[in-house]
Amino acid sequence: MSWWDDALHRATAEVILAGCLAGLVGVHVVLRRLSFLTMALTHATFPGVVAASIIGVNILLGGIVAGGVVALGVAALSRRRGQDASAATGVLLSAGFALGAALVATQSGFSRDLSSFLVGSILTVGPQDLLTTAVVLVVVAAVLLVSARPLQLIGFDRAGAEAAGVPVGRWDIVLLLTLEVVVVTMVPAVGTILAVSLIVAPAAAARLWSGRVVPMTVLSVVFAVGSGLAGLWISSRWNVAAGASISLVATAILAVSWPATRIRPRPARPATT
Amino acid sequence: MPALRYAGVSVGYDRTPVLTHVDLELDPGQRLILVGPNGAGKSTLIKSVLGLAPVLAGEATVLGESPAAARGRAGYVPQIDTLDADFPVSVRQVVMMGRYRSIGWWRPARAADRRAVADALELVGLADRAGHRFGTLSGGQRQRVLLARAIAAEPRLLLLDEPFNGVDAVSQEAIIAVLRELAAGGTALVLSTHDLTVARELADLVCLINGRQWAVGTPGETLTAGKLRSAYGGHTVDLPDGHTMLVEP
Repeated sequence: MSWWDDALHRATAEVILAGCLAGLVGVHVVLRRLSFLTMALTHATFPGVVAASIIGVNILLGGIVAGGVVALGVAALSRRRGQDASAATGVLLSAGFALGAALVATQSGFSRDLSSFLVGSILTVGPQDLLTTAVVLVVVAAVLLVSARPLQLIGFDRAGAEAAGVPVGRWDIVLLLTLEVVVVTMVPAVGTILAVSLIVAPAAAARLWSGRVVPMTVLSVVFAVGSGLAGLWISSRWNVAAGASISLVATAILAVSWPATRIRPRPARPATT
Repeated sequence: MPALRYAGVSVGYDRTPVLTHVDLELDPGQRLILVGPNGAGKSTLIKSVLGLAPVLAGEATVLGESPAAARGRAGYVPQIDTLDADFPVSVRQVVMMGRYRSIGWWRPARAADRRAVADALELVGLADRAGHRFGTLSGGQRQRVLLARAIAAEPRLLLLDEPFNGVDAVSQEAIIAVLRELAAGGTALVLSTHDLTVARELADLVCLINGRQWAVGTPGETLTAGKLRSAYGGHTVDLPDGHTMLVEP
């Protein structure tokens, strides 16, 4: 019997990989203020994942297609002047969730129950899921490394980036699709709805501790992996749902970071000249 | 070859003109100041040079090409309130962004790039702030960092949108001195302002606009009480000392 045959061992490996993914992409979500959009993406992913499961195709594929449609739709909407992207995002969020719930209701004797898509079922993660997460992690890390400069320039100064001839819209799509792939990959571990907390909370906490991107990214990954491991431990020890405890640990890290960073001495203000 | 040539140009968005009848020609090393009230079309005119607002009529040439073809070749200093001051970047990183066009997205910065960044920061008087986070600087210092970023790109045409808004007197003097030096080195400058004192002090050419071009020429020719009154719609007050004060509508 190999080490990988133990469900808890596989779950441990999965939360480490998923934590790395969430921590990396979370930094961009927080810096670009895309938390609400991420929320909508996770909800829009839900019907895609359910539909894929019903049809019998790979749920990763279904989620990416559904989320991709939303990502591109939001990108297109936010390019139109005078359009309030947050209204469209909000509507897509609840519509996606409703569609998913309706799809689940059409199936009697559904093979995987509703909650496993919503909040994950880490203890049923198989070797195939682990391999997928590992491959996605490598690809996402490479994409984010390669697009570090354009994403930095666009996030800091969108008007300046456009003036410099940077195809801003195309880079927005790269970021949104990367985010979508991460969300879908995390479904087996924490589900569509709880993915958002593991993406946003560790990065938001890291943002409080550091004003520079590299340390912030490292901290974000550490917090996300830490949340995963601690949540898994709490889950196995007290028999609580793993997805929920992972989310709650991530939230607790953010909740503690806020007062902790406020009592740190502030750097001296520079002289105004 | 002129750095900028507009002949009978209208610019706007969604086929609705914001600014019409623009006729101007700017040679290398010349300083053009766009003067007009809020909403006059100053920013739109600058965006049209950058290829970001469509030219609806007339003929526009930027560095010998159409604005779309020249996109990315002209330097641009945006208004400081359009960028995310909370974004975690250092002053040095911001100025290095000006070099991305020549470095590319993936290659590491070369010694020449680092030197260009240091020189640009030196020129705007912020060499000692290179390691500071951009968001911790004052408004005037931020504006100087953005100017340094534009300088690091070594453009032949530089556009500045309201560079003196929210800027203290010390930074304003520093920026004006740098702009003079750039123009002396052959860079053509276009900057928008509603500060007539700055316009008189800095301009070779003034373009007076409000929905259309009302006048173009030297400050002495354009910033007259009559022309300002026609452009601003009568909202001017003649002061006893012979100057004209503008009252924004």
